[in-house]
Amino acid sequence: MPQFDIATFSEQIFWLFVIFTILYFLMSKIALPKVGEVLERRQKNIEDNLGKARALKDETDAAIAKYEAALAEARDAAQADIREASEKAAAEQAKKTEALVKKLSKKTSDAEKAIVDAKTDAMKGVAEAASEIAREATDKLIGVKVQAKTADKAVSAIVGE
Amino acid sequence: MAGPLEQFEIKPLADLSVGGIDVSFTNSALWMVIAAVLVTCFMTMSMRRGALVPGRWQGAAEVMYEFVANMLKDNVGSAGRKYFPFIFTLFMFVMFGNLLGMIPHSFTFTSHIAVNFALALVIFIGVTVIGFMRHGTHYFRMFFPEGAPIATAIILIPIEIISYFSRPFSLAIRLFANMTVGHIMLKVIGGFVGLIGILGVLPFALLTGITVLEFGIAALQAYVFTILTCIYLHDAIHMH
Repeated sequence: MPQFDIATFSEQIFWLFVIFTILYFLMSKIALPKVGEVLERRQKNIEDNLGKARALKDETDAAIAKYEAALAEARDAAQADIREASEKAAAEQAKKTEALVKKLSKKTSDAEKAIVDAKTDAMKGVAEAASEIAREATDKLIGVKVQAKTADKAVSAIVGE
Repeated sequence: MAGPLEQFEIKPLADLSVGGIDVSFTNSALWMVIAAVLVTCFMTMSMRRGALVPGRWQGAAEVMYEFVANMLKDNVGSAGRKYFPFIFTLFMFVMFGNLLGMIPHSFTFTSHIAVNFALALVIFIGVTVIGFMRHGTHYFRMFFPEGAPIATAIILIPIEIISYFSRPFSLAIRLFANMTVGHIMLKVIGGFVGLIGILGVLPFALLTGITVLEFGIAALQAYVFTILTCIYLHDAIHMH
């Protein structure tokens, strides 16, 4: 087997050391630092981008929070306005209603008074007429002149019942 | 027809000798150079643009980098960080050696025990030196686990010493055996294809399957070689 031919060992081992050593220096001084640098740069780039994305996200969140706060504030303000306006309207309405009620009740009471007055007048007229008629009737029927006062009393006694 | 062992023959391409020792540039050395050049091209040319969003080649180079980096981190922890270039070179060199061996008429330098054992010995010595440098004489505790009853020392210490010193052998022989046996099997079964006429489709189908398997083994054995190195490194740095 050629593998056990000791005569070839020295040349194999010599060139192994020469070539392996050269390859080792090529790798450790040139190739590997370059790969390491590229990988490191990529890692850094990714981290930078992630950081940037995180910062942008924070900014967005802050803007959203601000927007929501403004929205809530506007809503509160609008609600306060609505409440105020509706309160004002209600108060005005109540005042108007009260005034109207007052006016109507005054009219009613005036009318009632007028009716009562008219009724009193009418009743008075009726009583007067009745006593007049009664006096005339007694004079013509029995020839007795009844005094106006007596007739009035008799009429009012009947009417008053 | 060439025998199944011929593919492992070391053929000198240029005779060289330093201080009486034969250091001829051979086909083994040539394929080591090819592997080293390919690894270097793969790791530098793909990263030339260093794009933020990697292309296909850059993605592949980054995957290899992160694969080995994670292997080291998972097995050794952050203390293994400074050995990363060595572990990475080891993994790429062995894997490219194994995979280049799958090219017909190429040469698999990782199928040679001399190469594998030299690598394993460097790892073994390196790990032992790291262990003694970190822990001083306390590193001898490796051979007698903390908390074991003293009476078991007579059995445990020899076992631990044997297991410790068998590390370079297991590392080297595993890779050598896997590569050699796979290539012999491909060669032997390949020989049947032409020999038995129309029935040759059967060994051919088998050969196809085994070729796929061998590619898997090429990558897997490089991984095993590297992860065992990581585990030895973990023992040296953290002790058991």
